[in-house]
Amino acid sequence: MRAWLTTHAHACERAVKRLISQPMVTFLSVFVIGMAITLPLGLYVIFANVSAAASRLDTEPNINVYLALNANEQETREVEKRLKAMSNVDRVTFISRDAALAEMKRVANLADLVSSLEANPLPHAFSIRPSVSDAATLESLRASIAQLPKVDNITMDFEWAQKLRRFGTFAERLVLLLGLLLATAVVFVTGNTIRLQILTQKDEIEVSQLIGATRRFIRRPFLYFGALQGLLAGLVAVFAVLLFVWWAGAEVHSLTTSYGTSFSLSAPAMGLSLAVVALSALLGWFGAFLSVWLYLRRVSSDNCS
Amino acid sequence: MITFANTVKRYRNGFEALKGVSLSIEKGEIVAVTGHSGAGKSTLLRLAAGIELASQGSVMVNNQNVKQLKEEGIAVMRRNLGMVFQDHKLLFDRSVFENVALPLSIAAFSHAEIGRRVRAALDKVGLLSREKAAPITLSGGEQQRLCIARAIVNRPAILIADEPTGNLDQAYAETIIDLFKSFNQVGVTVLLATHDEAGIAKLSCRRISLAQGKSAP
Repeated sequence: MRAWLTTHAHACERAVKRLISQPMVTFLSVFVIGMAITLPLGLYVIFANVSAAASRLDTEPNINVYLALNANEQETREVEKRLKAMSNVDRVTFISRDAALAEMKRVANLADLVSSLEANPLPHAFSIRPSVSDAATLESLRASIAQLPKVDNITMDFEWAQKLRRFGTFAERLVLLLGLLLATAVVFVTGNTIRLQILTQKDEIEVSQLIGATRRFIRRPFLYFGALQGLLAGLVAVFAVLLFVWWAGAEVHSLTTSYGTSFSLSAPAMGLSLAVVALSALLGWFGAFLSVWLYLRRVSSDNCS
Repeated sequence: MITFANTVKRYRNGFEALKGVSLSIEKGEIVAVTGHSGAGKSTLLRLAAGIELASQGSVMVNNQNVKQLKEEGIAVMRRNLGMVFQDHKLLFDRSVFENVALPLSIAAFSHAEIGRRVRAALDKVGLLSREKAAPITLSGGEQQRLCIARAIVNRPAILIADEPTGNLDQAYAETIIDLFKSFNQVGVTVLLATHDEAGIAKLSCRRISLAQGKSAP
């Protein structure tokens, strides 16, 4: 156990020394890999924020039925009865014209204007929650409702929310694809950095093998190097995204407030940040493993000839 | 301790460096392998160290068939051998100390133990005062002694040396031969390939002659 720890401590020490001994090369590699991780992470954070905002919206289908202004109470009750009897209708909520007027005063800050009206201009209405969501069935339901007496107008305003949800799903997949592509790029960039490291230490690897170093011993410092490089790049990416959220967050908030809604950009959670750093280190480790494995395999086949 | 049984080494291009060599080296023995260039001396040593594998026949080291060992096993076997290479194989971007410390790092010794053993090995070959020097600043004889220090730092049971006195003047060569003699006196089995007749005479050891890949009478 002690020997195992010693070999790992030596390998880690050598990897750190290699990183420090070439500060410019290390900086550039970490920066390039960091930027490759920043892009999907940044997009993910933006889409996660947008998705969170969209999830607060009611995207379930809803049909609003407005009656004619001259509809009396008996006619209104008859419409309600027939609506409730319809198939594909889950819930029917009656909104009286007085309740609608009171709501309008409250929500739209139009109290003074509404008070100045001589009569209530709003009709009785029904809010219907269908039990189905496919467009064809909803359209047929709409047509059936339109046949009812005293029905003046029907609106179905859920389609934009559904489109937003679909866009969210598409954006999620786009981020995933971009993430996979850039993760592959990280593996190749790390692999190439390690390949250059191997070339500069070819003699040391050869001598080490001749005097009893195993493949694991040869590989270990390079794996630590790749993992450390990936870890630093992950930290750079998280820091860059935090910087973006801090920089753009205030602007986004004031912009959405001016449109009468409140939306703030949230920084990536601690768990996500740690996962990104860990994944980045893992990708670095994998890139290094691939590079050393290919080199040692080639050397081994050369020696067997 | 080392046994070659009808060993053949054939390369991909068809060249046969060894053509059925059989010989045995006992524990604590010192053996000089001689022969002209191309006779197969270096190949014999490389097979004994597991750097190359026999095409036919077998090579046994410490009762282990080298060919049957896995890569990890060969690496472990090499840690128990001290090897002095014809071209030294020194790392010129490392100090004298670091070159000698390399086998101990591979064997996972602690920093304190590495320091102690490296200084003892350097002291034995007379290079203790040069531990911080770069190998490039050493003379040919000193580089050879540095190579020997690296080979003995692990306290191996077998020491294999390929032309250890090649390219050295007589005085340096004698020093090197004396070193091998002193290691053998403490029980180390020594197998060396050499052209140095004076050295062999000084060692007064068994000689194995090779000619065109075969044991010569």
